[in-house]
Amino acid sequence: SFLQGSKLEIPLWLAKGLRDSKRRIISVELPKIYKEAWRTVFTADATVVDLHKMGPYYYGFGSQLLNFDNPENPEIAQTILQTFISRFRRIMDDSQNAYNEDTSVLVARLDELERTLFQAGQKGLNDFHCWEKGQASQITASSLVQNYGKRKFPDVDG
Amino acid sequence: LFQGDLGPFNPGLPVEVPVWLAINLKQRQKCRLIPPEWMDVGKLEEIRDQERKEDTFTPMPSPHYMELTKLLLNYASDNIPKADEIRTLVKDTWDTRVAKLRLSADSFVRQQEAHAKLDNLTLMEINTTGTFLTQALDHMYKLRTNLQPAQSSQSQDF
Repeated sequence: SFLQGSKLEIPLWLAKGLRDSKRRIISVELPKIYKEAWRTVFTADATVVDLHKMGPYYYGFGSQLLNFDNPENPEIAQTILQTFISRFRRIMDDSQNAYNEDTSVLVARLDELERTLFQAGQKGLNDFHCWEKGQASQITASSLVQNYGKRKFPDVDG
Repeated sequence: LFQGDLGPFNPGLPVEVPVWLAINLKQRQKCRLIPPEWMDVGKLEEIRDQERKEDTFTPMPSPHYMELTKLLLNYASDNIPKADEIRTLVKDTWDTRVAKLRLSADSFVRQQEAHAKLDNLTLMEINTTGTFLTQALDHMYKLRTNLQPAQSSQSQDF
């Protein structure tokens, strides 16, 4: 049991479970990246922020935070959206231009959602090049069956 | 399966056939291919210049201009005058179109539009960027729904 007024770190799912608008069991303190000071940084130039270090689930976690009654929620929601919008171009260009390159620098500062997007962009690019090289018309084994062991023919009695 | 008749095939006289047959016959050295009338340096220069000048997408002489160019230049470059120049012109036009598509996408995201209409795109261009774009827009849509105030939910009394 805890003393009233004590401050703890708990997982998000637990905090959500304890949330109750009728009885104020808990109130949630925002992680600093969603607070005003950092929001100003994001508004100035979101493209330079290392969202992997600050997240890595900046968008997902931020969206979940909005479940708690916090007077700053509208500003938080707006900042998260605008951050995504301003970083979109760089992710699109990088993922669709970097063919056959080491992309670790490009994805280093992306949060997990952005990394998934980056992969989607890479797939489009790679598929195009695969087509261009003529590999699209070569028949290759499906990745689903590549690990099947070769069946051995039963010994035939001579 | 669909079927039909082709021909008559008379020596020395040009005849229209499906591309797959043309390529097949060419590979077997049974014919010479006649390129489409747009596959010409003058015409392609016009198209490239218009593409560079306009903000909108130039209507392409074929919805499969990329595929046809690749096929014909791969298998029948000896039948195509100035094949190398043609290759370069088509690639330049493609690059301009893809860049324009990305610019449109970024502008669409920034303005948080609900609908976009892009005329005269070909499937090749759409497929290269499509997966990335649809995923990004899905995410953006979810972030936008965050802006609406959360419904307060009834909680259970245990």
